[in-house]
Amino acid sequence: MWYNSDVDLLTTSVATVESDSEPYTLIELTGEADVTNSDALRDLLDAEVAKQPRTLIIDLSGLRFMDSSALHVLLRANRTMDRQGGVLALASPRDAVAKMLRLTAADQLIPVYASVGEATAG
Amino acid sequence: MRYVGEPIWASRSPAELREATKHEALINLAFAGAEAEILCPYDSTALAPAVLADARRTHSLLLSGGHSGTRPDYAVPFRLPSSGSLPLPAPRDDAMSYTYRTDLSQVRALVLKHAMDAGLPDARANDLVLAVSEVAANTLRHTRSSGTLTIWHDPDEIICEIHDEGVITDPLAGRREPPPDALGGHGLWLVHQVCDLVELRSDNTGTTIRMHMSVSSPRQRN
Repeated sequence: MWYNSDVDLLTTSVATVESDSEPYTLIELTGEADVTNSDALRDLLDAEVAKQPRTLIIDLSGLRFMDSSALHVLLRANRTMDRQGGVLALASPRDAVAKMLRLTAADQLIPVYASVGEATAG
Repeated sequence: MRYVGEPIWASRSPAELREATKHEALINLAFAGAEAEILCPYDSTALAPAVLADARRTHSLLLSGGHSGTRPDYAVPFRLPSSGSLPLPAPRDDAMSYTYRTDLSQVRALVLKHAMDAGLPDARANDLVLAVSEVAANTLRHTRSSGTLTIWHDPDEIICEIHDEGVITDPLAGRREPPPDALGGHGLWLVHQVCDLVELRSDNTGTTIRMHMSVSSPRQRN
């Protein structure tokens, strides 16, 4: 593949959030996640997963679009989290993204919650 | 396993008949080696002779007037019926074209705008955006050149076509459900899930994928 990853299309932020029970990692994705930025997304998730958090929540509320390349990055991160005994959860997908997660049955593998709050409640 | 499927009836559009005929042929491939009995009713009083001729090539056994016999027309080894491999009819004269390289966001914006103009409801417009984006992403994944998006619509449907230099050799590409944890193969499968009709032509010069969405009589989708 010869293209450069498009960093402006997708912005990301990572935070460690203190909660009543235990801290969790929260990643917010904003914009459009597709094949042109899935390498960058993979690198970001790899780095966070490598820190072995018990819970990693990805907030999708700002994500207007997600393609199968981005989905594969999420599925890959989910596998590693599973292996490490942690939990990856997705929160607040918009309708189009939620439908894509349903059609690919990815929502059977990765729990999807209506909000970050619900995701933390597990 | 036994099932009955009638994807071909006289009032279907030429594009639907082309693709349904191809689908009938591919069923042989998909179920090769499986214990399955598949009955495909054809209305021989209403369908055109060319459609029935293709049907004779895509089925190994013909039941007619209570009699059955193996068909000499049945294509073994597998090949697609001619209607499923002929060049697609030209786009409408007023179609718009856009050549893309890595600007998939622009591709999606164009599809969304035209889908709205054509009168697709939001959810179905988003379906079409996803489908076209997945096909255009394959241009980036599998070729080193640009691709072309062509869009046109009439009162009945909006059609988005992607052409690029990629070559798809698997006749069942996008028609098998990938395992949920597969890290590939979801793109074309999603395209087939969300579009009303998908036509695919590929040879060693390139691939054309035409995605249809009905405007006038939206079908019930998930």
